[in-house]
Amino acid sequence: MPEPTYIVLIKQVPDMDEVEFDYEEGRVDRSSAPLEPNPFDLNALEEAVKYKEELGGEVLAISMGPKQAESTLKDAIARGADEGILLHGREFAGSDTWATSLALAHAIETAGSCDIIFAGEKTVDGDTGQVGPEVAEYLDIPHVAFVSDVTKRGEKEIQVESETWGATYLKSMNLPGLITVTKDVNEPRLPSFKDKQRARKAEITTWGIDDISIDPDNLGVTGSPTRVANMEVPPPEERESLILREDPGNSVNQLLEKLDLGREN
Amino acid sequence: MKDKVIDKLVSIAGEDWVIQDLDKIEGYLYDETPEPASPKAVEEVVVVKPKDSEEISAVMELANEQGVPVIPRGAGTGLCGAAIPTEPAIILSLERLNDIKDLDEDNLMVTCEAGVPLESLFEAVDETDHLFFPPHPGDEGAQVGGLVVENAGGARAVKYGVMRNYVKGMEVVLPTGEEVQLGGKVLKNNTGYDLMHLLMGSEGTLGIITEVTLRLYPEAKETATLLVPFENRHDAMSAVPEVLKEGHVPLALEYVERKLIEESAEHLGKSWPAEEGEAFLILIITGKNEEEIFDKSETIVEVFTENGALEPLFAQRRKEQESILDIRSNIYTALEEETTDILDVTVPPAEVGNLMDEIEDLAEEYNTNIPVYGHAADGNVHPHIMNVNGEAPEYFEDLKDEIYETALDLGGVITGEHGIGETRIKNLPMALSEEERVLMGKIKEVFDPNGVLNPGKAV
Amino acid sequence: MSDVMVFAENNGNKIHPVSYELLGKGKELADKLGGELTAALLSGTSLPAGELIERGADRVYRGTAERLAEPIESSYREVLVQVIEEANPEVILIGATNFGRSLAPRVAMALDTSLTADCTGLDIDEEKNFVQIRPAFSGNILAHIKSRTSPQLATVRYRVFPEAGIEEGKEGEVIDVELSLGGEDTKQVEVLEERRGKKVNLEDAEVVVAAGRGLKKEEDFELIEDLASFFDGKVGASRPLVDDGWIGRAHQVGYSGRRVKPRIYIACGISGQSQHLAGMKDSDMIIAINSDPSAPIFDYADYGLVGDLYEVVPELTRQLKGE
Ligand SMILES: Cc1cc2nc3c(=O)[nH]c(=O)nc-3n(C[C@H](O)[C@H](O)[C@H](O)COP(=O)(O)OP(=O)(O)OC[C@H]3O[C@@H](n4cnc5c(N)ncnc54)[C@H](O)[C@@H]3O)c2cc1C
Ligand SMILES: Cc1cc2nc3c(=O)[nH]c(=O)nc-3n(C[C@H](O)[C@H](O)[C@H](O)COP(=O)(O)OP(=O)(O)OC[C@H]3O[C@@H](n4cnc5c(N)ncnc54)[C@H](O)[C@@H]3O)c2cc1C
Ligand SMILES: Cc1cc2nc3c(=O)[nH]c(=O)nc-3n(C[C@H](O)[C@H](O)[C@H](O)COP(=O)(O)OP(=O)(O)OC[C@H]3O[C@@H](n4cnc5c(N)ncnc54)[C@H](O)[C@@H]3O)c2cc1C
Repeated sequence: MPEPTYIVLIKQVPDMDEVEFDYEEGRVDRSSAPLEPNPFDLNALEEAVKYKEELGGEVLAISMGPKQAESTLKDAIARGADEGILLHGREFAGSDTWATSLALAHAIETAGSCDIIFAGEKTVDGDTGQVGPEVAEYLDIPHVAFVSDVTKRGEKEIQVESETWGATYLKSMNLPGLITVTKDVNEPRLPSFKDKQRARKAEITTWGIDDISIDPDNLGVTGSPTRVANMEVPPPEERESLILREDPGNSVNQLLEKLDLGREN
Repeated sequence: MKDKVIDKLVSIAGEDWVIQDLDKIEGYLYDETPEPASPKAVEEVVVVKPKDSEEISAVMELANEQGVPVIPRGAGTGLCGAAIPTEPAIILSLERLNDIKDLDEDNLMVTCEAGVPLESLFEAVDETDHLFFPPHPGDEGAQVGGLVVENAGGARAVKYGVMRNYVKGMEVVLPTGEEVQLGGKVLKNNTGYDLMHLLMGSEGTLGIITEVTLRLYPEAKETATLLVPFENRHDAMSAVPEVLKEGHVPLALEYVERKLIEESAEHLGKSWPAEEGEAFLILIITGKNEEEIFDKSETIVEVFTENGALEPLFAQRRKEQESILDIRSNIYTALEEETTDILDVTVPPAEVGNLMDEIEDLAEEYNTNIPVYGHAADGNVHPHIMNVNGEAPEYFEDLKDEIYETALDLGGVITGEHGIGETRIKNLPMALSEEERVLMGKIKEVFDPNGVLNPGKAV
Repeated sequence: MSDVMVFAENNGNKIHPVSYELLGKGKELADKLGGELTAALLSGTSLPAGELIERGADRVYRGTAERLAEPIESSYREVLVQVIEEANPEVILIGATNFGRSLAPRVAMALDTSLTADCTGLDIDEEKNFVQIRPAFSGNILAHIKSRTSPQLATVRYRVFPEAGIEEGKEGEVIDVELSLGGEDTKQVEVLEERRGKKVNLEDAEVVVAAGRGLKKEEDFELIEDLASFFDGKVGASRPLVDDGWIGRAHQVGYSGRRVKPRIYIACGISGQSQHLAGMKDSDMIIAINSDPSAPIFDYADYGLVGDLYEVVPELTRQLKGE
C-alpha cells in the first residue's frame, strides 16, 4: 500500500500587528510588515505532522503566491513538511477565492493521490474562510470546517470535533477529505534550530499554469467572479470618553440612548 | 487621618482625587511582595492623585508642615515592600502623570512623566519603527518612575545594562517640596556630584520623580529567540560563561526550569514549546538581517552543544518570540501564591554556576525545594523560598540569610534589582559596612530633614 | 432573475435569528432589484414557514430530509443547489454563522459563481449592481465587492442588520419541494455526538462583562452573568477574584491572563491597573462602572458610569431587557 499523503494549504500573509493602514489614502501598506505563514495554517500543518507521526506518510505544503512565499514554505519544512510547492506566475495574481480554490485543487490533483487536506479556518488578510470548502467541493470530497480537536486519526476515517450550530459536534469523515482548523486544535510546535537551518537550504518546487493544466482564463482578476471595487480604511476610532455621574437609572438611560446597544451587538 | 490634612489635600488636588474609602483604596495598600514576607499595611491612609509636579510640591509642603509621612506610589509591582504604608500616611499615586512628552528621534531620547507604564513606553517607542528601549523588568505594568527609583534590571539587560544606564535626565520634587531638574539630554555630564544617580535606587526616600529622560537605541532589524534545553541546572549554568567568553552578547540570556515554566505557561493558557530537557536557557539574538542571526546562532549553538545542550529550538515569528518572553515573565505570578519570598541575589557572572550548586545544597540541607530562575548572564537569579502548608516555613529567615551569605561569599550582593525596601532593612548590616550605612543615613537627612518621605524604607 | 433568496438556517427546532435579519435586508434589496423575496427553509423535521412570510418573504421553498437534522454541509449543499436551480434567484443571502460560512463556499463552487464573505453592508447601486461591503485584514478595512457572475452569493454577519418586523396575517406562498438527497456520497461525514459548552474562550467573545474587586461576594457573579447573558457574552474577571478562587483562570483578563478584543467590554468594579488594561484596552468599546471617579479605568473608557455596581449593573440589565 502506498504511503498516505497529507497536503497542507498555506498562505503567506503579513504580520497583522505590523501592517500599517493609511486611512487618508484608503490604502493598506503591506510592505511595512514582515511576512509569515497565516497563523491558522500553522495549526493545519501541525495537525498534518501529527498524522504523519502517528500513521507515517508524507506532508506536502502547497502555497499559491508571490516568489517570497518560498520562505513560508521553507518555514513549513522546518516545522515538519517534507516538501513545498509554490504556485506562482503572474496569471495567478489577483485571484478571488473561487479562482484560488480552482488553482489549488488543480495543484492537488497534479501532486497525485492525497488522503487528507488541511487548511486554516481563514486567513488574517483576505479573511473569507472560503478557500477550504471550495477546494473540497471542486475535488468532490467531503470536508469538516472549524475543527477544534482531532480525536482519532485513521487511515480511512478521521474523527474531529467541529464548532457549528452553536455547539461542538463530534464527527467522523471518510477519507480522502478536507478539514479546516481553528487555533484551538493544537499548539504549533517550534522548529529546532537544526531544522530551521536545513530548511533554509531546501529546494522549493515552483509550478506555473502549465504544470497544473489550468486555463488561465479562470485565473487572476479576469477569471475571478468577484472583484474588489474599492477599499475603505476607516480611521481608528477615538474613544468617546463620556462620564456619567447621575443616579443609576438616568446614567444607564443616557448610556443606552447613546449606544443603541441591543442592536449594535 | 486629621481632617485638616484631608481638607488641605482636597484643596490641592480636588475632591475626586483624594480617596479614603477603604473599598476604593484596597489596591493601593500592598505591592507584589509575597504575602508571608510582606509587612502589614495600615489602613489609616489617604490616597491622593495629583495631576502635576506643582500639586506634588504642595502635598510635600503640607506633609512637612503637618509631619505626615508621604509614600510615593508607582504601579505597586515592587517586591520588597517599599511602597507599603506601615504607619498612617499619605499615599501619593503618580498614575495621572502618564504623558509621554517627547520622543526625540534625533537624539534618541524619550522624555516621559513618571507614571507612564512600561508597556505604554514600549508601545510609543515601537511606533517609531526604528527605535528600541531595551530593558524588560518582568512586569510591564511597572511605572517608569518606579523603575528608575528601583534601578530595575530584568531581562534584556545583558547587552545594554540596567535602568541606570538609560536615565539621562529627570525632574524631581524634593522631600521639602522644591522642584529640581537634574541632567538632561546629554550623554556626558561631569558637573558636580551626580545627584541624579543618587536618586536612582533611592526607593522613594530622597525625592519624588515626576519626569524622566531615557536613552533609546536603534532597533535591531531582526531578532530571534533561541531556546536551549539541558538535562539539568548544573549543565545549563556552566554553559553560560562559555558562551559569554566567546564574545557573544545576546540581548537577553535567561534561565528557567521546566516545572516553573510549565506552570507559568499553563497560567496563561499556553504551553511551553520544548518537549525535552529540564533546564533551559533563553537567548534573544539580534542582528542586521536574517543571515547575521543565523550565523550568530550557529556559533552559539555550537558552544552550547559542546557543553551538553540538547537540541535547541528557534523562534523567529514575532508572536512566537513574544510568547516565550511572556511565559518567562509570568513565572513569578504563577509561583506567587506558594512563595514565602523571592530573592534576587547577584554574583559575578562567572560564579553563577557555583551559586546554583550551593543553593541546591542548601535545598537539600533544609529538605525543601528552591525553584530558581533568572538573568543568567548577569549573575542575577531568583531563588524562591516556598511556603510549607501554605505558610512561611519556620526556617525562612535562616535559609534566606544563608542564601545571602552564599552570594556575599562569592563576591556578590544580596539584591541585584529589587532593592532593600522594607523587607531587607534587617539584612543591611551583613551587606554594607557601618561607614556606608552612616553615610547613607546622613544623605537621607540632608534631603529630607523632617523624615517625611517614605520613612523606614531603604536605609 | 431579480429575486433575492434568504437561506433560513435552522437546527431542526428553531430558525436562527440571523435569518430574520437577512429578510429585512433582503426585502430592501429585492425592492431595488424589482424582484421578490424568497426563503429556503430546509430542515430535518418540517418547520412552520409562517414567520418567514410574516417577516417579509413572498415565497418560501420548504423541504425536509432526515439527513438535514445534522449539520453536514454536503447534504445541505445538495438540496440548496436544487432549490436555487428551481427558484432562480439573483442574490442569495446566507448568515455568516460557522455553518453558513462553511456551506456557502460549497454552494458557490458547485454553481461556479461568486461569493462574498461575512458582509456588514449590502446595497444595490444605480446600475443595479449588488454591492457587498465586508471587513477584511482582521477588521481594519472595508472592501466593496462586486460580482460578475450570477447568482451572487453573500454570507452576512449576524447582528449587524435589524430583524425584519412581523406583519401579522401577511400572505405568501409556501412551495413544498421534494428533495432528492441521494447517494452514498452525501454520507461521507457522520455526526457521532453533540457536545455542549466545552471551552471558555474569552478571546473569541464578542462581548465580555468583567468584574473586579468591587464585587463583594462570589455569589454576586450572578449579576455579572445576567448582564453577560443578555449579550450572549462571556464573563471575565480581574486577577484578585481569580486568585481568590471565585472564578477559573481562563476568565482572567490582563497581562497574566487572557488578552481580549471584544466589540464591547464592560468593566464592573475594576480600577484599571495597567496589568488589567493590557488585556482589554484594545476592545472596540469599553464601558466602565466604578464608584470611584478617580479610577484609572475611566481614562480608557468610551463610557464611564460613576456609581455602585450593585445598583448600576442590575439597572443596566433591566433596561436592556426593556423592563
Ligand atoms: C479586501 C479583500 C476582500 C476580499 N473579499 C473576497 C470575497 O469576499 N470573496 C472572494 O471570493 N474573494 C475575496 N477576496 C480575494 C481573496 O482574499 C483571495 O482570493 C485570497 O487569495 C484567498 O482568500 P482568503 O485570503 O480569504 O483565504 P481563506 O479562504 O480565508 O483561506 C482559508 C484557508 O485556505 C488556504 N488558502 C487560502 N489562500 C491560499 C493560498 N493562496 N495558498 C495556499 N493556501 C491558501 C489556507 O489554508 C487558508 O487558511 C478579497 C480580497 C481582498 C484583498
Ligand atoms: C512579575 C514581576 C517581575 C519583576 N521582574 C523584575 C525584574 O526582572 N527586574 C527588576 O529589577 N524588577 C522586577 N520586578 C520588580 C518591579 O517591577 C520593580 O521594582 C519596579 O521598578 C517598581 O515599579 P513600580 O512602578 O511598580 O513601583 P512601586 O512598587 O509602586 O514602588 C516601588 C518604590 O518606588 C517608589 N516610587 C515609585 N514611583 C516613584 C516616583 N515616581 N518617585 C519616587 N519614588 C517612587 C515607591 O515609593 C517605592 O518605594 C518585578 C516585579 C514583578 C511583580
Ligand atoms: C505581574 C503582574 C501581573 C498581573 N496581571 C494581571 C492580570 O492579568 N489581570 C488583572 O486583572 N490584574 C493583574 N494584575 C493585578 C493588577 O495589578 C491589579 O492589582 C488588579 O487588576 C486589580 O484588580 P481590581 O481592579 O479588581 O481591584 P482594585 O484595584 O482593588 O479595584 C477595585 C475597584 O472597584 C471599585 N469599587 C469598589 N466597590 C465598588 C462598588 N460597589 N461599585 C463599583 N465599584 C466599586 C473601587 O473603586 C476600585 O476602583 C497583575 C499584577 C502583576 C504585578
